[in-house]
Amino acid sequence: MKFKADEIASVIQKEIEDFRGLMQTAEVGRVIEVGDGIARCTGLSTVMSGEMVEFSGGTRGFAFNLEENSVGVVILGDYLKIKEGDEVRSTGKLLSVPVGEALLGRMVDPLGVALDGRGPVITSESRPVEWQAAGVAERQPVKEPLQTGIKAIDAMTPIGRGQRELIIGDRKTGKTAIAIDTILNQKGTGVICVYVACGQRASSIAGVVEVLRQNGALDYTIVVAATSSDPAPLQYIAPYAGAAMAEYFMYQGKHTLVVYDDLSKQAVAYRQLSLLMKRPPGREAFPGDVFYCHSRLLERAVKLNKELGGGSMTALPIIETLEGEVSAYIPTNVISITDGQIYLEPDLFWKGIRPAINVGISVSRVGGNAQTKAMKKIAGSLRLDLAAFRELEAFAQLGTELDKATQAQLDRGYRMVELLKQPQYGPLHVADQVVAIYAGTKGYFDKVPVNRVQAVERELHEFIRTEHADMRDKLVAEAALTDEIEGMLKKALEAFVARQAAKG
Amino acid sequence: MSDTKLKSRPESVLEDPGARAVATLYAESYLSAAAANGQSAPEQELDSFVDDVLGRFTEFAAILMSDAVGRDEKLDLINRVVSVRSSEFFANFLRVLARHGRLDMLPVIREVVKRLQEQAAGKQRVRVRVARSLSQTAREQVRTSLRQAFGFDPILEESVDPALLGGMVLQVGDTVFDSSLRSRLKTLQGRLVEKAFNEIQSGRDRFSHPEGD
Repeated sequence: MKFKADEIASVIQKEIEDFRGLMQTAEVGRVIEVGDGIARCTGLSTVMSGEMVEFSGGTRGFAFNLEENSVGVVILGDYLKIKEGDEVRSTGKLLSVPVGEALLGRMVDPLGVALDGRGPVITSESRPVEWQAAGVAERQPVKEPLQTGIKAIDAMTPIGRGQRELIIGDRKTGKTAIAIDTILNQKGTGVICVYVACGQRASSIAGVVEVLRQNGALDYTIVVAATSSDPAPLQYIAPYAGAAMAEYFMYQGKHTLVVYDDLSKQAVAYRQLSLLMKRPPGREAFPGDVFYCHSRLLERAVKLNKELGGGSMTALPIIETLEGEVSAYIPTNVISITDGQIYLEPDLFWKGIRPAINVGISVSRVGGNAQTKAMKKIAGSLRLDLAAFRELEAFAQLGTELDKATQAQLDRGYRMVELLKQPQYGPLHVADQVVAIYAGTKGYFDKVPVNRVQAVERELHEFIRTEHADMRDKLVAEAALTDEIEGMLKKALEAFVARQAAKG
Repeated sequence: MSDTKLKSRPESVLEDPGARAVATLYAESYLSAAAANGQSAPEQELDSFVDDVLGRFTEFAAILMSDAVGRDEKLDLINRVVSVRSSEFFANFLRVLARHGRLDMLPVIREVVKRLQEQAAGKQRVRVRVARSLSQTAREQVRTSLRQAFGFDPILEESVDPALLGGMVLQVGDTVFDSSLRSRLKTLQGRLVEKAFNEIQSGRDRFSHPEGD
């Protein structure tokens, strides 16, 4: 493309002719102290808490502490260029981020500035980062399922649209993997996903984005990234910015999913800010309002009522524990706020049980309301069976002589544990999950050696998809295990077992 | 005037809000005590002490403000040197400051006293930044329009900043009224950039696939 010089000149000339320089009025103050991402300013006498301010170099910040004689400002961006004596202007606006369709498929920082090298995000819409959560009357109960595509979760700790389900565990136990699989499984369901990386390594964020791209999940996903090298203020506002981006779609009646990865790092960033602002430290040196910091964020996850369009925002906050210490301050806080938790254990992970979900202490307080009828029917007893199996397993290790029935129950248990294993980035459709769990609980896998269960399961899915597609389609359409479908399923499974036996 | 000496520190250091709050407290008490005692012009004695004594005898000032000299010694010094030459009221004020270890705040207190008296007289300081120094008529115009707009008697604090290019910037309290050529040009630049940016964007979108790449 070639620019025409006179055309541009005429445009500029016209601009200058039409230009009416109006007087700009602003409230100003002066920086008296700056360092570590915060500044203390005098003046700014009518600034509001949380209002955006602008430093003379163009860097933005927001008023965090309003004191008797000064204002504590959190600097969003490069604070090394700000000097004592610099002018600060109030803007009269609350901190907002750009929102809209243009963000889909993009990676942005918590202020909505593109980080993916694909040009700026062009959108005219914006939303305040902090937003009051929907009230009681604006909500309805959570009853629609949000399929994660992970058998162990969809069967035993089901997540509903509008729910807040915590993913908690030590480092390297597959917390992010569960969240990513859930995002991948939303393909084609119309659920818009926001992945908020807060205090993560830039390399792992790049890895996540690559996985999303390869699996075609980036088209309906927004990645909000505040890496561990970003200043604490950006890490602190990242989850709120992500929530604002999702809320835009939610209030249009769409379904959204937000992953906060992870909130323990956000709490640490908030602790840093609070201590620098000289707010008094409390337990573990966290400020007293760190609970509110998380509760107001997670309260924004909601299932809206019909008048508001029935949109929803499901939140999957992630918390990293140290050495399985769930009774530390931040984990207990977030456990008490959320509607259940998925607890991941390193022991299970290293035993090869992946996802390493401890089904005993993982719960979903929404429960069966967020399951399809078919899943509810077959998964009802699964949790109890597995609990019974764990107990028996402990006995069996003592080398006790076992009767036949007990041995059978043990064998079934081993196979069920094997069946609940699932590879990463391989979410399953709920119909396939129902088939697999039905086959497991009804004993169709009893003849299969334990180490071959996963391979046979894959063959089963292949078999159903190629030879009994009508039954699967029916199951997908009705989402319930009617007598008719169950009859068809039984027949298909018998045929499959016969074929396996013939293969020998 | 000691003002010149204080300017060696950055302007903003003087604005230490905590110190200013304390100084305001002392200044207010000083003025109301003066009114109660029938002192007609309390600021004159304060001015004279800061300029003629502290300003001229810097070593004396250093002794009074130093932390190395004890409270009782400072009080002694005030009794011997100041109280015989000043009004009893002012000497008492100095003793109060000495007792609370606030003698180093005298210059700030004096500043605040001046402000408070101006306020009481319905005057207010307005900072005027201009590209070129104002003519007498322009100055009068600014003064009149400020009086009309705000209803107070403005005291103009002028400063010349050639970087403004033209126009002027007024600051009343914390509010800035900016009609300088520099900020007008900046706004124009922003709008032109935005326009060009939209052009480029639409040009780019014309050639790209609507479904994305």
